[in-house]
Amino acid sequence: MSKPLFIKLLLLVIVFAVVPFALEGLGKGYYYQIATLAFVFMLLAASLHLVTGVAGLLHLGHASLYGVGAYVAALLGSKYGIGFTYGLPLAGIGAAFVAFLVALPTMRLMSIYFAVATLGIGQMLFLVFQNWVDVTNGPNGVMLFDGIDLFGYAINSELGIYYVVAVVAAVSILILNRLSHSYYGNALRSLREDDQCTAAMGINVTVMKIQAFVISAFFAGIAGALWAYTTGYISPNDFNFSQSILILTMVVVGGLGSLPGVLIGALLLILLPEVLRYFGDIRNIIVGLLMFGAILFLPKGLFGEVNALNFARRILGSAWSEDNSEKGIGWK
Amino acid sequence: MTTILELDSLTRVFGGLRAVDDVSTKVSEGELFGLIGPNGAGKTTLFNLISGFTPPSSGDVRFKGESITGLPVHKIAHRGMSRTFQNLRVFPNMTVFDNISVGALGMIGVSPFSALWGGRAKAREISERSWEMLEKVGLKEHADDLAANLSYGKRKYLEIARALAMKPDLLILDEPAAGMNDSETAELAQFITDLNKTGLTIMLVEHDMGLVMGICQRLVVLASGRKIADDVPAKVRQDPAVLEAYLGGDD
Repeated sequence: MSKPLFIKLLLLVIVFAVVPFALEGLGKGYYYQIATLAFVFMLLAASLHLVTGVAGLLHLGHASLYGVGAYVAALLGSKYGIGFTYGLPLAGIGAAFVAFLVALPTMRLMSIYFAVATLGIGQMLFLVFQNWVDVTNGPNGVMLFDGIDLFGYAINSELGIYYVVAVVAAVSILILNRLSHSYYGNALRSLREDDQCTAAMGINVTVMKIQAFVISAFFAGIAGALWAYTTGYISPNDFNFSQSILILTMVVVGGLGSLPGVLIGALLLILLPEVLRYFGDIRNIIVGLLMFGAILFLPKGLFGEVNALNFARRILGSAWSEDNSEKGIGWK
Repeated sequence: MTTILELDSLTRVFGGLRAVDDVSTKVSEGELFGLIGPNGAGKTTLFNLISGFTPPSSGDVRFKGESITGLPVHKIAHRGMSRTFQNLRVFPNMTVFDNISVGALGMIGVSPFSALWGGRAKAREISERSWEMLEKVGLKEHADDLAANLSYGKRKYLEIARALAMKPDLLILDEPAAGMNDSETAELAQFITDLNKTGLTIMLVEHDMGLVMGICQRLVVLASGRKIADDVPAKVRQDPAVLEAYLGGDD
């Protein structure tokens, strides 16, 4: 068996056999909740990674687009009886649509101004969730009683729900993986490096930025639907500024521009507070110190971009390898 | 010979300053053409007017017979014009190969869909073209190094290779010899001449007379935004107006 195939199979076995087996053995809903939370945030971090890590646009309102997805899914489900099967893609499309509307005027802004604009968008959407009581039910949030219903099959067991969440998150992350590890990804990376220069290469910079922003929002919306359906209750505070910052921290601690790093960052920041539960409230300080240390000693992240691209090219076999005399360089 | 680039009374005013003042000239296909002038003469501004980075206040730029005035930068690039930058702008945190691939992929075209499905033929084309350009500038063994880790001279060649990966009809080099020593400049002159011999039209924007005098077939001299000479190097060298403006008048 070739090395790339082995690594891929290993990851599949861990996600779809080892972890669910362990969760069944532990047999408590609590562990399933943590697993779901980890998948949702890995997807959120992976989607923010495309905009902030790869295309280099500092995005401070990602959680609000995650919120749009969650509200679309929860409201369609609770008010109109549109279940998970259609609610999931519609949540993604809803978030992508909102992102497209806000992207049109903001994408020409440079660096810090773009960051401030996304901050404003995040706050604006948060206030909509909070105050548009007729539709969003305001601070009371939305209850979603119907469970996950897949093409007419109700999925009730915790294990079944785990598999739905894991498959949706894994497929989404695979798509994001392909987008950032391809020549399209190279084009996005060149925007981050020098967008004027990229334009001189014949690339429509504004269109590329809007694409990245909208695709990222689509997957944030998907994560929102997963969250709404697995917790059964959402409220505005799930999507406030501190959540945006949490996702951004996952991306930065994991490694800007590094998808594997970002996934590790998300896992770490979700699992660490749970593992440290024994320490009581001090755990937040411990997590903060660890983050501080990580940035201080590993400014390029836990798994930096250079290593991540090597990993994607040579270990996962995404490199262009027509000429066998060359080591894996370029993209398939 | 057919004209590839035509400037028609190009003018650019910044506030009260006429940075480029009524400049007209023609560049023929296959020509190695130089644009020179002392510091602050308006060379870079004129260059930015041609490549679309700055819109002209008045006048017209025609490329391959069509007006490109006011077109966005990326569209001008698609028409077949490629440029490098005076202050060396490679993508520092990308590998040498990935840098060059951006030049190729802009022309070949990539999209999120081609990345996900059926983009293999494009990826192959981008890869092959990038290797070809790496070979051309002799950076093959550095393909997997970060651009930031290359020496200054090699980064210059990387930038040229990235521009060449666009397979342009007109290549404009903005002060390619800046910061190079004499032997490096001589090597670069040979490289540019060889490129030109393959039939590529090249426009050199230079501050340094040495390089352009040696290799260009024709020179336009700018001083204070105005064109003061437009002729073969041997004639330009003896032009009193050029000597006055460029060399300070005592040569």
